[in-house]
Amino acid sequence: MDAKKLTQLAMLTGVALIIFVVELQIPNPFPIPGVKLGLANIITVYAVYHYRAKEAAMIVFARVVLAAFFSGNMMALMYSMAGGIFCLAGMIPLKRIIDEKMIWVSSVFGAVLHNIGQISVAVLLTKTWGVIAYFPFLLLSGCLAGAFTGISAQLIIKRLKNKGGRLL
Amino acid sequence: MKKKNICLAGFCAALFLFGAAGSLAVWFRPHGSWVNVMQDGMVLYSFDLSSTPDQTIDIEYNGSINTIQIKDGRIRVLSAECPDKTCVHMGWLESGALPVVCLPNRLVIGFAERESVDAVVK
Repeated sequence: MDAKKLTQLAMLTGVALIIFVVELQIPNPFPIPGVKLGLANIITVYAVYHYRAKEAAMIVFARVVLAAFFSGNMMALMYSMAGGIFCLAGMIPLKRIIDEKMIWVSSVFGAVLHNIGQISVAVLLTKTWGVIAYFPFLLLSGCLAGAFTGISAQLIIKRLKNKGGRLL
Repeated sequence: MKKKNICLAGFCAALFLFGAAGSLAVWFRPHGSWVNVMQDGMVLYSFDLSSTPDQTIDIEYNGSINTIQIKDGRIRVLSAECPDKTCVHMGWLESGALPVVCLPNRLVIGFAERESVDAVVK
């Protein structure tokens, strides 16, 4: 990997972290564990479509680990990591089927897979099946949050195309 | 191409509706008066809320304490030492199927399907 590529990936990770920290300051109106907008995933969606699978995975994992340090919520690391792995495992093959113009659909699938990853970890950690009752709520919020981040990514890509280039 | 996009959008809408229907079903599920307080998959306490006197209980997990309050036949997490405090913000346990959980401390408070006789009642 050359220095230019490495710098791009680091830059995208940095942007994702800044978005994450800003989002931390927005109070969450839904007191349900795991429900959040996840704006940092705008970068995930962008990276999946513009970089190789390995590179997108590097951005996501670096962001998840550093985000846990920044928020001081180390417990969230396991949930986010499982979510990130599920999300990437689904979105990377899906990008062959789903065109970039329909990136919001891909983002919705990614968000729902993220939630499946989260809930699996929650069931494993609490050793209680009852936690699965949260899944419909996560599905609902995942669809909305995924569509929102996807549409945001779509707008960014469109504007970049107008300027005739990539993000960096 | 156009057709595929409509299919994909339809699938997203189906996921959304499935989530909405599931959420409503979970939220409005009826419940009895028995509540289990579980940690790490084991029942710590079992209460019949209709007859339990008002009290607060401290539950510790790896040095982090959740304080549970029972008042007027309802139960909630009064305070927690975890970073996110989601369990506190969830308020009183209301839904039959949706437990109040504190994920960092592996604590689950939910209505029990049947009356647990084998649990320790304090």
